[in-house]
Amino acid sequence: MLEVRKLTKVYDDGTVALKEVSFTVPDGEFLVIIGLSGSGKSTLLRCINRLIEPTSGQILWDGVDITAAGQEELRRIRRQIGMIFQQFNLVKRHTVLTNVLTGRLGYTSTWRSLLGLWSREDRARAMRNLELVGIADKAHNRADELSGGQQQRVGIARALMQEPKLLLADEPVASLDPATSHSVMKYIEWMNRERGLTVLCSLHFLSLARRYGTRIIALRAGELVFDGRPEEIDDRRFKEIYGDEAIEVEIR
Amino acid sequence: MSERSFYVRWGRYLLLVALAIPLYIWSWRTADINLVDLIQGAPKARPIISDLVRPSLLARERVTLSVSAVVRVPCDAPPPEPPPAEGPTLTLSATCLNARDSLVVSGSGFRPNTPGRLYWRVAGLEGRLRDEPFETDAQGRFTVETDIPPLLAQQGGDHTLEAELKWEAGALRPSETLRTTIDKMIETVFLALMATTFGGLVAIPLSFLGARNLMPTTPWGTTLYVAVRSFFNTARSIEPLILATIFAIWVGFGPFAGVLALSVHTIASLGKLYSEAAENIDPGPIEAIRSTGANEWQVIWYGVVPQIVPPYVSFTVYHWDINVRMSTIIGFVGGGGIGLELQRWINQLQWNSAATAVWAIVLVVSAMDYASAIVRERLV
Ligand SMILES: Nc1ncnc2c1ncn2[C@@H]1O[C@H](COP(=O)(O)OP(=O)(O)OP(=O)(O)O)[C@@H](O)[C@H]1O
Ligand SMILES: [Mg+2]
Repeated sequence: MLEVRKLTKVYDDGTVALKEVSFTVPDGEFLVIIGLSGSGKSTLLRCINRLIEPTSGQILWDGVDITAAGQEELRRIRRQIGMIFQQFNLVKRHTVLTNVLTGRLGYTSTWRSLLGLWSREDRARAMRNLELVGIADKAHNRADELSGGQQQRVGIARALMQEPKLLLADEPVASLDPATSHSVMKYIEWMNRERGLTVLCSLHFLSLARRYGTRIIALRAGELVFDGRPEEIDDRRFKEIYGDEAIEVEIR
Repeated sequence: MSERSFYVRWGRYLLLVALAIPLYIWSWRTADINLVDLIQGAPKARPIISDLVRPSLLARERVTLSVSAVVRVPCDAPPPEPPPAEGPTLTLSATCLNARDSLVVSGSGFRPNTPGRLYWRVAGLEGRLRDEPFETDAQGRFTVETDIPPLLAQQGGDHTLEAELKWEAGALRPSETLRTTIDKMIETVFLALMATTFGGLVAIPLSFLGARNLMPTTPWGTTLYVAVRSFFNTARSIEPLILATIFAIWVGFGPFAGVLALSVHTIASLGKLYSEAAENIDPGPIEAIRSTGANEWQVIWYGVVPQIVPPYVSFTVYHWDINVRMSTIIGFVGGGGIGLELQRWINQLQWNSAATAVWAIVLVVSAMDYASAIVRERLV
């Protein structure tokens, strides 16, 4: 279980990105985070694995306080939390296989990883995960030779390498076309349903959020303005989250 | 356009011009610009320029021929028998001499139309006395009048007169100048390579300290960042010529002084370029690697290094090219390489030789330019 308590983030320039946000995520949930651009979705996700240091508040995961963890412990926590990104964040000049293998860095000793001495199991695991996302044939291509959808699948394979219990996905399909978006979202859904991962995923489109989320939270200017089941978001709620001017668009 | 705005616009231009004119008059005077000198002085530069377009590249081998005759001083004993000679021979008007007697030396059977010199040898010494120039005629003959040098007259005994002819013959071969130039050019390129390597090796770690995004935002981090960046900026603005002068005094004239001077310059210059390249890397992959639980070494190796290698290599090759260019100049102040030779030739007014060096520099620098462009293109 993930428990976020009164999480606040104030950036160095004084921007308040999160204001006392609290919510709880039971294991196995597919939690979708929605909100306008700048509402704090990325900040929230990055606070959970402390890519961004929270200003105050607590994040408890299975009773362990992530916000209080020292460097060594933080790394052990991070390796159980997979993350995928809007811009895929692959190392462009490395091969697809190397990119996937980096998912094992948290489990590999420094000297072995600096020499590229990946274990036999890790190599096999990497190929299995690439097969799983359907791009095993691209294993030896340079990462930047792949299409956006393929790159995101490499990102998913990299996250799978960590054998994570929790997956953070920051607008994983925002740079993809609708059809590709669904194929990527289906992999995430598969991880949630078949592998039993808890998923925290921020999305731009409410239609996608409704389709994949088991629960939705909404941020507005850093504040939690909604926490409930997808079907609870009616017109009034929608306007509260996105502002009066907004109209809902569908992505199928 | 309204009439008013038209005047306002042109009024502004006129004002600008009115301000610019005195500025330019003043600058013209300060810079001592004199077009008359430029045109009238042209003939003085003509020999130099015409030599510059005729660099010394090839030369024939030099052949030396010397023939000697013996003279006895003073004239008391019987004179030595002249050796029966085939080919070129010297005929003397007298075979013995008293002090202040003059002597007519004629030669025959020599190479026609060739310059030569006639001189007295001093026994046991390298030196030549009198050393009179002559040139053989179309039949290979010459006549020179000389006298016995007082030093030899005092000593007495048998003395040797020698006629020496020098001419060029045989196949064309690279001239001495060309060989020196090639030698020194190689030295220059390697000097630049060493400086680029040393400079680059020091600049790499420093560049991390000088990259805002890689340094922590703690007071210590910021202080270090500012210190490193200021060092880059200050050291970069010191001309390598000045550095070379200092190092030439420190470690003596020669390529090593040049290597040191260029290394210091390279550290600063590459350090700044590297830092800026490091600041421009994409934070995304770094974030992604860090999120897998990787430690800082792993983040650097897998997230930072692949992103900085291409720009770093490209800047290094580019700087090697710059260093070759600079090392041609730092030789002027004792930094070794081709510059030292070039300066010597200029000082001795050997413009053909200087031209060889100048053209070699042009050739090598443009070749480096071209090669570095290709390497950099490949790396994108
Ligand atoms: N490094 C930073 N320094 C200062 N302010 C920041 C920084 N990163 C984000 N912010 C600000 O914090 C607020 C929340 O940003 P965040 O990126 O979390 O929003 P988001 O919901 O992810 O937006 P988007 O949908 O556009 O990705 C914004 O006002 C943003 O300008
Ligand atoms: Mg975002």
